[in-house]
Amino acid sequence: MALHQQYDLTSRIAAHLDRHLVFPLLEFLQERQQYPDDEILKAKIELLSETNMVDYAGDIHKSLYHTEEVPKEMLDRRAEVVMRLKSLEDSAAPLISFLQNASLVQELRPDKQYNLMMLNERYQIGPDQIEALYQYAKFQFECGNYSGAADYLYQYRALCTNSDRSLSALWGKLAAEILMQNWDTALEELNPSFFLVTPTLQNFSSPLSQLQNRIWLMHWSLFIFFNHENGRNGIIDLFFQDRYLNAIQTNAQHLLRYVGTAVIVNKRRRNMLKELVKVIQQEQHSYKDPITEFLECLYVNYDFEGAQQKLRECEIVILNDPFLGKRVEDATFSTVPLRDEFLENARLFIFETYGRIHQRIYIGMLAEKLNMDEDEAKRWIMNLVRNSKLDARIDSASSSLIMGTNHLNIYEQIIENAKNLSMRTSVLAKNILENVQPQGSR
Amino acid sequence: MASRFWTQVLRDRSWSRRGRRRTQTNRYLKTDNASDSDDSDGQRRIVRSARDKRLDEMAATLDQIRNAMKINDWVSLQESFDKINKQLEKVARVIEGDRPPSLYIKALVMLEDFMAEALANKEAKKKMSSSNAKALNSMKQKLKKNNKQFEDYIIKYREKPEKEEEEEGSEFEEDLTNISKPDEEEEEEGEEGEGTGEGAWEKKMSKKDKLMDKQFMKDPSEITWEIVDKKFKEIVAVRGRKGTGRIEQVEQLTFLTKVAKTPAQKLEILFSVISAQFDINPSLSGHMPINVWKKCVENMLIVLDILEQHPNILVDDSVEPEEKETQKGADHKGTIRVWGNLFFKSLQCIDPHTNEYVKRHRDEPMFLVLAQDVQDYLERLGDFKAASKVALRRVELVYYKPQEVYDAMRRLAERRADGEDKDDAEAGEEGLVQEEIRGPLSFVVVPEVASRVPSFPESSRAFMDSLISLIYKHGDERTKARTMLCDIYHHSIFDEFAVARDLLLMSHLQDGVQHMDRSTQILFNRAMAQLGLCAFRGGLVPEAFGCLSELYTGGRVKELLAQGVSQSRYHEKTPEQEKLERRNQMPFHMHINLELLEAVHLICAMLLEVPNMAANTHDSRRRVISKTFRRLLEMSERQTFTGPPENVRDHVMAATRALTKGDFQQCFAVIDSLGTWKLLREREAILDMLMAKIKDEALRTFLVTYSSCYDSLSLDRLAAMFGLSEDHAHSVASKMMISEELQASWDQPTRCIVFHNVEPTRLQALAFQLTDKLNILAESNERAYEARTGGGLDGLPPRRRGEGQDYTGGGGGVAASGKMGPFLPHRGGGSRAAPVMAVATGSVVGSRAAAGFQGTVVGKVAEAVAAVVVATLRVTILGDTRIHMAGAHTRRR
Repeated sequence: MALHQQYDLTSRIAAHLDRHLVFPLLEFLQERQQYPDDEILKAKIELLSETNMVDYAGDIHKSLYHTEEVPKEMLDRRAEVVMRLKSLEDSAAPLISFLQNASLVQELRPDKQYNLMMLNERYQIGPDQIEALYQYAKFQFECGNYSGAADYLYQYRALCTNSDRSLSALWGKLAAEILMQNWDTALEELNPSFFLVTPTLQNFSSPLSQLQNRIWLMHWSLFIFFNHENGRNGIIDLFFQDRYLNAIQTNAQHLLRYVGTAVIVNKRRRNMLKELVKVIQQEQHSYKDPITEFLECLYVNYDFEGAQQKLRECEIVILNDPFLGKRVEDATFSTVPLRDEFLENARLFIFETYGRIHQRIYIGMLAEKLNMDEDEAKRWIMNLVRNSKLDARIDSASSSLIMGTNHLNIYEQIIENAKNLSMRTSVLAKNILENVQPQGSR
Repeated sequence: MASRFWTQVLRDRSWSRRGRRRTQTNRYLKTDNASDSDDSDGQRRIVRSARDKRLDEMAATLDQIRNAMKINDWVSLQESFDKINKQLEKVARVIEGDRPPSLYIKALVMLEDFMAEALANKEAKKKMSSSNAKALNSMKQKLKKNNKQFEDYIIKYREKPEKEEEEEGSEFEEDLTNISKPDEEEEEEGEEGEGTGEGAWEKKMSKKDKLMDKQFMKDPSEITWEIVDKKFKEIVAVRGRKGTGRIEQVEQLTFLTKVAKTPAQKLEILFSVISAQFDINPSLSGHMPINVWKKCVENMLIVLDILEQHPNILVDDSVEPEEKETQKGADHKGTIRVWGNLFFKSLQCIDPHTNEYVKRHRDEPMFLVLAQDVQDYLERLGDFKAASKVALRRVELVYYKPQEVYDAMRRLAERRADGEDKDDAEAGEEGLVQEEIRGPLSFVVVPEVASRVPSFPESSRAFMDSLISLIYKHGDERTKARTMLCDIYHHSIFDEFAVARDLLLMSHLQDGVQHMDRSTQILFNRAMAQLGLCAFRGGLVPEAFGCLSELYTGGRVKELLAQGVSQSRYHEKTPEQEKLERRNQMPFHMHINLELLEAVHLICAMLLEVPNMAANTHDSRRRVISKTFRRLLEMSERQTFTGPPENVRDHVMAATRALTKGDFQQCFAVIDSLGTWKLLREREAILDMLMAKIKDEALRTFLVTYSSCYDSLSLDRLAAMFGLSEDHAHSVASKMMISEELQASWDQPTRCIVFHNVEPTRLQALAFQLTDKLNILAESNERAYEARTGGGLDGLPPRRRGEGQDYTGGGGGVAASGKMGPFLPHRGGGSRAAPVMAVATGSVVGSRAAAGFQGTVVGKVAEAVAAVVVATLRVTILGDTRIHMAGAHTRRR
């Protein structure tokens, strides 16, 4: 099996996604041309068969079999869908017309109970209509009208009293936002929803469903995190919470790829690396891909050759991953920004670790290790030295790099040890005095 | 050998029974006492001659009593009574055990009856002479008082005089029955409908049996449902009574099953048969005779057949439908459990190396079949709770079997299925001859519907999985926990360490195991041990050590794994404890090899501890990984002469000595010579793994130990020294550099390690120590403060406070450096002083008022500390002459 297919996670991820959310993944696969087009189109039809996006399914069918015929069952289903849409629209109509009238909406207040009462008394909109709104929104979503669904769900949540329903409305809204690629809104949405998922699920539902919800949330959030510019921090913050990390280890080890990538790419969260490596080691029997193996080579075995090799594989994996391999199309050429960042940072990682245990390194050797040619490597190192990121000098004669002694000076160590003593003691003294004075004045 | 073992078992068992009786005489004796006569029998045999004399004396006295009774002479009766009491004491000394001889009891019974008679007969009483009447009255009192002690025996005796008599010899028998025959006996006999007189019960029973046979033999066709029912009720009524021999009862009942008219009736009778068969087993700690056990299995299978065949049986037939429904469900669950225990126990008791043990194992599939059928049945009934319990039984039979053993069992079961008929014909020949000839053929022929052949899936994993999923769905907490442990054990056997580990961690079993029952705890220990072995086989040394070290901390592995009792020198165990332990013992085939376990544990400890010791020789804060290992090492180092290694421990110690020197070949050779490795499946692979590990650790030890002797060391040489590949050596050394175990770095162009040799000078080391200790000081200050304000601890123990006082008199400034030793919080002179540190501020402490000084003291401490550190630093840095002063100072202190 080709490398990219071997590490393709689509099927594993799809299990934890909404039907509609799988769609973008399939699109990506199609674009990458990893699989025969026919297969993907078939998968798409399969996917759509349970939704109400009948027209679209019909189109795909046509392009798949190169006919103008649409099978009968699709037509039947279409008729059915349209009928159902009508009926739902009718039943939700009163509420929708109310909500569409801006001046009437003004009358709503933050108090939910009041709103319900008011609606019931003045406009004869009872729980039935509100329920109908939910159903209607859901149907809209199924039909692929995400923006409408998102609006209705938003309004539904303002009126809904049932917490379960509210939760599913929340999921629905999140999905709709993701599908509309409103990353900002989605990220905002994610916050309340994930606050909601964390505590309520903790209290009311079984551990199993908690786990499931967390895993869903993590999968869904991948869309957001790898598309929003602030997502890199978000993903680390979320995934490294104990509960979520446990969930990953229990049932979604493949997410380690994304965590790993995020940590490597994110310069500011370097401190998470240790923890991540520990987790990767624990899970190495159940999940392995070039990215985790790269980290393992580098931080467990100090096998630089291996890390090098894995890095090359990482590139392929990243390019073929629907989340990581997002392209930015410029006027003239297209790049995958994440890949560049990943490679750059990974290179730095290798170099750092290598430098830490070496006193003298050939630049030629280094260049090879870093996947660069010698001049490039020299320039790269010089930049590092200049930016005082690296304590080293280049010995031009022997064309080698001499690392500064990196072990701590003994005096520094002693000072380090005694550094905060005085502070600690004075805090203690202050505390005692605070304690004493009230008693003394008594 | 075998025979000695047997006697031992015998004695043990009778002993334990006695112990048991002592504690619960009452209940036990009322319900069942056939065993009683059995084992008192055994006891007597041992001390025949000595007691005979005493018993003869007693018999003579009994004669006297009898004579006195005849002439109604209460005065001499009274004398005899006193005499017999004295004799009792003597007899008691001779007979071990606290049970009075039945002769004595007989006398008591006689007296009591006679007394009752005399009292009842008012006229005769009036006629008595005054002395006689007086004696009668005092006798009444005495007897009443005396008999109370032996109440149980008397009751028992009354119920069943013959057995006792038979043992005693029969000469008194006739007399006794003439004089006073317990009324009860008459009643029972009447009930039996035989109406015959004085004959011994035993004979009667067998006679009756034959009678019954005859009765049925005459005209089998005429036997009606009613007759069978009546007979059945009779037998059941007798059950539990004392006179009935259990085995006979079983026989009778079995006979009845043959003549039973309807399936329902047969079912009913079979239930009684089964419970009667269980009754044969006299006590909890013993086990059922094997043949009975086998018959019992047969019966249960037949029951299942009937149930399978007649799902509507409870409704169709007239025999109390509802009642039976409930009874049956309960029955099954109970029986199957008891019954599995019996199997287990019998294995426990039988000597492992005998042929018999092996034979017994052959019965295992039989049990599995039964369990499977019962489980199916329960599932059909919808009683999933019970079904999961039965499933657990099955899991517990299989979980410890590696695939080979499992396959063997499967083959055995299959072979048995093929040759079943033949086997049966051969084995059952003697038994069948009797049975078939005696009884008519069964009226209700039950075809074998419930499968007699266990259906085993190919792999034991699949088998486990199917059962386990059922249990997780329906089982209760304990069942689930046990299943989980069995599952972990099973995974470990199959070298799936990661899976087993995840299971263990996710189930959080280790948190709750303290609150579980003994056998579950043992199971937990076993699972841990197996997990450790599994980790070792996988080359995961730290994990293996983590699993095993706890088992070995107390030095009671045997007990923890329930594989034999280790003698404790320090405290005697009570008999109850010992008995309990014995009951929990694992049968031999489930044992985990202790030698292997110990070897694995010690080797893991060695691999972890040796580099650790090398790294931390000069460190003040020594980190000890395995205390057990360290202790052993110290012990072996203390020996003047070290002989060639004998046991596992010696081997590992010898290996350790080699490893500390970096001599990996010697180390491996010693470990390789251990015999236990042959128990491992992939011996070669594991030894290779071990070799690799030893090389690694030898390399690490070498680098740490000798780094100060080298300035640089080339990779080639290093790799050659330890027979490692260069990459690997590089990786190991790199790891050490990163973790700062080794102060060195690579010189890439020349491929060598350059050692930095940053060993601190003595002064620097001391300065380090100083800062370390100051840190400790600050910490303990904070802790003391927390304890104070947190309100948890009220100050510190008085002893420590006193010590603190001694150190308040020191000087200030640099002198503080000398006072590093006891950093003890001190309570100041004030009444409610917070526990503040009093180092180097003695002068302050005494003089200030409480509220004032506390803050100051702390402040001073801070200042002083800062001053010390700064001074030391300055001194060090400047290389001033004062260095020597400070150094000397510290040393002196």
